Amino acid sequence: MKMTKSFVATATNAIIATCVAGSAMAADIYVIGGKPDDPFWSRVKMGAEDAGIVAEMQGGSVTWLGPQNYDNLGPDAAELIRQAIDQGADAIVGPDWVPEAMDPAFEAVVAAGIPLVIYNAGGMEATDKLGALNYVGAVDYKSGFAAGEYLGNAGKTNGACVNTLPGAANIEAFCAGFNAGIEAVGGAGSVLQLPATSFGDATAVAQAVRAHLLQNPEIDALFAIGDADTNAAVSGIQQAGKADQVSICGMNFNESILANIQAGTQACAIDQQGYQQGFFAVSILNNYVNYGVTIPTREILTGPGIIDSSNVELVIEGVKAGAR
Amino acid sequence: MTTQNTEQANGLSFGSIIRRPETGSLIGFLVVYIFFAALGGAVFLGAPGWSSWLNIAAEVGIIALPVGLLMISGEFDMSVGSVVPASSMMAAILCGHYELPALVGILGGLSVGLLVGLVNGLIVTRTTIPSLIATIGTMFAVMGLTLGLAVLIKGSTSVSYIPDATTKQLLGSFVGGMFNVSIFWWIGFVVVYFFFLHLSPFGNWVFALGGDRESAKNAGIPTDKVTMGLFMASGFGAAFVGIAQVMTYQAAQVAGGQSFIFNSIMCVVIGGVLLTGGAGSVIGILLGTMTFAVVNQGIFFASLDPNVGSIIIGVLLLVAVLSNDTFRALAMNYATKKK
Repeated sequence: MKMTKSFVATATNAIIATCVAGSAMAADIYVIGGKPDDPFWSRVKMGAEDAGIVAEMQGGSVTWLGPQNYDNLGPDAAELIRQAIDQGADAIVGPDWVPEAMDPAFEAVVAAGIPLVIYNAGGMEATDKLGALNYVGAVDYKSGFAAGEYLGNAGKTNGACVNTLPGAANIEAFCAGFNAGIEAVGGAGSVLQLPATSFGDATAVAQAVRAHLLQNPEIDALFAIGDADTNAAVSGIQQAGKADQVSICGMNFNESILANIQAGTQACAIDQQGYQQGFFAVSILNNYVNYGVTIPTREILTGPGIIDSSNVELVIEGVKAGAR
Repeated sequence: MTTQNTEQANGLSFGSIIRRPETGSLIGFLVVYIFFAALGGAVFLGAPGWSSWLNIAAEVGIIALPVGLLMISGEFDMSVGSVVPASSMMAAILCGHYELPALVGILGGLSVGLLVGLVNGLIVTRTTIPSLIATIGTMFAVMGLTLGLAVLIKGSTSVSYIPDATTKQLLGSFVGGMFNVSIFWWIGFVVVYFFFLHLSPFGNWVFALGGDRESAKNAGIPTDKVTMGLFMASGFGAAFVGIAQVMTYQAAQVAGGQSFIFNSIMCVVIGGVLLTGGAGSVIGILLGTMTFAVVNQGIFFASLDPNVGSIIIGVLLLVAVLSNDTFRALAMNYATKKK
């Protein structure tokens, strides 16, 4: 296994070296991502295309390959990867959403000597396993950690993570990160677990938050795991009459959340910054193919990006431009 | 199953009170309230505690009332779970995306509920599909339509809408910073449904339908119209809650609302409505809803593990059905002896 890997790596390097040796070559970069009309992925696509401006100036191109729908995600995405190989890609960017279905296709990319960057999903684990150059994306645990640290640094000492989906691995990672983050700056962290009967019900989330705050007056910081939950928790804080004492950060954002940050009812929102994922993945590959330069930092984190009162106006401009 | 007219119990002797169908629900409510009051302490007994569980009760209650009437008439409605997000999404898209006046969004959202109710009613009365299956079908269809249309129009699974001050005041504000206006709407709905079921002549039609549909039809009751009306009422209730949620939380989600399906049925059953139809009361449903909400919120005040709350609700449901049967048997025995 290890031998195959190092053989593949050597082969890749050899092929790249041959290509790079003959003056600067134009990089035709294929990016596999979500549906172009998916709001998150449209930002990733914009980042990829903005980085593509440089590639085009150098005679290359950036092509976006997205599935029509998400009904058959793994196999569809694997098919797109093979399509990119067949179309003669000089470099490929892809998310490792469904490793079982997609890894054989990614292995074919590496075997064909095409430089590969994994982004958005998969992390360093998939990157190392597949022999890809790098990983560009966010990590759930670190997103939670950033929120805990932010609130701790703002003078909060007792935080609770509102877990509306106990048992889901990414949510548990958010909460574990949040508690570790606030503990790292000297505070205490806990988890408010909601019963299954309240999932998806904003009123149930708001009332649970409110009851928890009234019963645990020492809590002065909250972390919510999504934009809907954050809106509900903000209402819960207000109903508990604790808007002055309790600060809240939440994952992701929408218009109401940006308005809340402007109004001061929400301290911060954590964003994984999809634009950066597309932009850096394409840039890394373009520079690598053209000049053979690398980014020695492995695991390029695009998140957590923190949105608070200091930069909310800038974020609103970014939303208008379509980049956020 | 015999039809039951709660009007006849006019004398307020101890015997007649204990044989009233609501007695079991009242005892259940008191036991649960005292249990959580003992654990939750002063905060739970005060205004914050009351508003906390009343806010929960109001929303599920607005849905549980018509769902309860449907169950008295012998039908189920599972589609409420997807009408809640569908109507809130409709309102948010009309007002937040197309920037139409709030009233248009509210009417649009409510018509989604009425329309789904009409479709449910037509399927149940025109075909032989049982209402449980028919409404599961419409639930999934509406869920899919909501997701599809939201993504098509807005390109997103959540739509934000910040309502104007008057709309917010009427549908999404908190009186005294605590009591959701939905509580007052709920009280209004209770009065209307109480009048309809127990005071107006139509109430007996509902009981008759649940007792024996064929006999009811033969007796000249327009059974199909009553059934369709009740389905539309439950669609309306669910849509109302969906709209109130947009106005309160300023965003609509395509998912969510599924919890209302079982929660509303639990409120109704804890409130003494017979699952096979023919028996139940608005006061019972009200008490059942209050009991459900006290348990749901009480666990947070009592600092119990939230899963314990689910266990209590589960046990409560079983106890409610058993005790309802006991009370009904008591009442029946007494009535037979008197002859």
